[in-house]
Amino acid sequence: MTTPTKPPSAWYLNPYLHLGLNCALMAASELLLKVGATEQSGIAAPEWLKGTGLTTLGSWWTIAGIGLYILAFVNWLYVLRWIPLNLAYLVTSSVQVLIALGAWLLLGEGISLLRWGGIALITAGIVFSAQSSAQAEEKL
Amino acid sequence: MTPLTVTLVLLSQLAQVGGQVLLKHGMSEVGRTPRRTGAVLRGLGGGIALLTAWFGLWMGLMQKLELSQLYPFTGLSPVLMVLAASLFLRERADGRTWLGVALITAGTILVAFSVPAGSH
Repeated sequence: MTTPTKPPSAWYLNPYLHLGLNCALMAASELLLKVGATEQSGIAAPEWLKGTGLTTLGSWWTIAGIGLYILAFVNWLYVLRWIPLNLAYLVTSSVQVLIALGAWLLLGEGISLLRWGGIALITAGIVFSAQSSAQAEEKL
Repeated sequence: MTPLTVTLVLLSQLAQVGGQVLLKHGMSEVGRTPRRTGAVLRGLGGGIALLTAWFGLWMGLMQKLELSQLYPFTGLSPVLMVLAASLFLRERADGRTWLGVALITAGTILVAFSVPAGSH
């Protein structure tokens, strides 16, 4: 058996493409879970049962959200196979930005000036750390 | 916030970081020769166990505390993650990585303060 030390060259197996896909999957999953939870919040059920979160499973939105979450986990394992944890984890901070943008554009939630500021800082932080890691890889 | 709550918050963060380090450790063994299936399974099993503990702790905390109180602590996880990656996985982190971490943490705290009080 040969030891694969380099990621596969096919474009659809590129680890960085999958890191981006992971962020999109995580954000989409959170938004679906939010829609599912909101849809089920009005149903008639005892409060204690609602407190467990189990009643949200009655919505297909929730099921789809869980499905994407599982897909994202498998995809995350593939990302960890090839990309250093610190870079991969810092890039997933963009999920916060994607969720805020998705909630704004798709769910009609407002974004305050303070939150826009936070989003800008997080984005800048990801760019800095990604640049540093890209340079480290070039040196190898 | 009581000392117990703060301890639980920190424990949940440590579980998350530990879980990710173990997952990475396991996945780095994939495809190596000689094959070390045991090491891969230990990494994945330990990682999933710690991430499950993190999830349970975090859900419990979210029931007791307001999101606006809890959310700022998530800004800690990039700091802990980069520290753990350099300690346990020997991943290099230079000045620019730490600048990035500082910006992400500051941004997360700003986002946390923008969560309206009273929301869960």
